[in-house]
Amino acid sequence: MHTGSSRIAGSTLGMDEAELIRAAQAGDHDAFERLVRQYDQNVLRLAMNLLRSPEDAYDIYQEAFLRVFRNINSFRFDCSFHTWLYRIVTNLCLDHLRKKKVRRTESAVVETPDGPMDRLDSVPEMRADGDPQRTLLSRELRGRISEALSGMTARERMVFEMRHYQGMRLRAIGDVLGTTEEAAKNCLFRATQKMRSALGDFV
Amino acid sequence: MNCETAKQQLVLFVYGELSFDEEELMEQHLDGCAGCSAERARLESLQEVLSQGESEVPAGLLARCRRDLAVQVAAAHAAPRRSLSLAALWRDWVVNPPLWLRPVGAVAMLALGFFAARIVPGDSPALARMGVAQDPAPVFSRVRLVNPNDSGGVRVQYEEVRQREMSGALQDDHIRRLLLAAAVDQTDPGLRVESIDLLKQHCSDDEVRRALMNALRTDSNSGVRLKALEGLKPYARDPETRKVLAQVLLVDDNPGVRTQAIDMLVQNKEPEMAGVLQELLPNEQNGYVRSRIQKALNEMKASAGTF
Ligand SMILES: [Zn+2]
Repeated sequence: MHTGSSRIAGSTLGMDEAELIRAAQAGDHDAFERLVRQYDQNVLRLAMNLLRSPEDAYDIYQEAFLRVFRNINSFRFDCSFHTWLYRIVTNLCLDHLRKKKVRRTESAVVETPDGPMDRLDSVPEMRADGDPQRTLLSRELRGRISEALSGMTARERMVFEMRHYQGMRLRAIGDVLGTTEEAAKNCLFRATQKMRSALGDFV
Repeated sequence: MNCETAKQQLVLFVYGELSFDEEELMEQHLDGCAGCSAERARLESLQEVLSQGESEVPAGLLARCRRDLAVQVAAAHAAPRRSLSLAALWRDWVVNPPLWLRPVGAVAMLALGFFAARIVPGDSPALARMGVAQDPAPVFSRVRLVNPNDSGGVRVQYEEVRQREMSGALQDDHIRRLLLAAAVDQTDPGLRVESIDLLKQHCSDDEVRRALMNALRTDSNSGVRLKALEGLKPYARDPETRKVLAQVLLVDDNPGVRTQAIDMLVQNKEPEMAGVLQELLPNEQNGYVRSRIQKALNEMKASAGTF
């Protein structure tokens, strides 16, 4: 985070997370950067999965970590840093999803000579792995997953993404979303049902 | 466990979210129930399929995110004028408010607010239509004379501040002079941070180094002081620099600045530094800085109290 070329080598190396946080709170940009790098890959993946758009994911990344930077002094170690960070990230994503939903209902359906069509009905980019058979399958698969995701509530999506792709425990997910483990369980249950009916013939 | 309960809990089972006891019961049921076992297999293959369907983070996106975040964080200190959303953070760093109005300028602006309509009517029809007064701050510094005439008009004599531009290499003497002047411009901390940031690349220049040391000792803005510290890093062995660093340790009110000063002072592990740190330790209020001092002392193998 610094622009100077001559950093004292290793001054933040070997710090554990709590030390990094304290250093970042004292204004150490290097420590802040190291803290960011422990989590930012997963944050970006989560945002990418939830919003399905690189530009939206980019926005979430910037906004989330800038908020962390601005508010690091209000972090009091009364929950894990991961939980604190993910509260910020999921709140931003929820806002984004809500806005998207509004846009969708406003402008998504267009009239065509063949009747109304959903113009956001596009399939996310496919993997470029060169195997046409697989690519076709994966394209179809992604289309179905997208469809199932758009049929979920924002909370169901959050829980599903955090459990399935981030590997978080339901209890931790409840903490992040400000709800109980039981409620998180129910969300995961419903999300899985929806995925299953969307992907019926793939499994 | 009956099939209905089992089917409800299978999702949690495949995600490993059942309690130990629940899991036991589930496994017992699965052993004896082909239907539920088939359901379990389907859920597991669903998980596998879903894992293939994860949307991919495009190549380069992470790197772009990291780079831009670093720029934004640096900008948060360097140039609040460009990013309003960072205003809150900036406040922490600016000890004195950004006084972009000099007292003289303020008087002139008041006067011009009154006369602006007559001075610039034809200049900017677009602005006039929008009802926006043209910002006079960069153009006028002072109204010298206001003189009403017989025909109901008014004659105003004013001094003009002309904005001029100059570009050139950092080594260019004119540019360097301007930067050195900007580095001590009391009206604008953002400008000082930027100038110091540029100047510190030429720290080998004696005059620049003195300017950095001066900023480190006297600038009221900790963002400016941190930048100056960064620039002085290559000179952590220089006795004059070390003197300033020691002074910073004693008097600077910003823990970040003190921490960095400690790091620079102890990097060569001179034994006499242990004595200085030893003296500082009891007076240091900030817990983090104290732990940093203690750590430095330990690394010098100087236990508390031996000096
Ligand atoms: Zn059964």
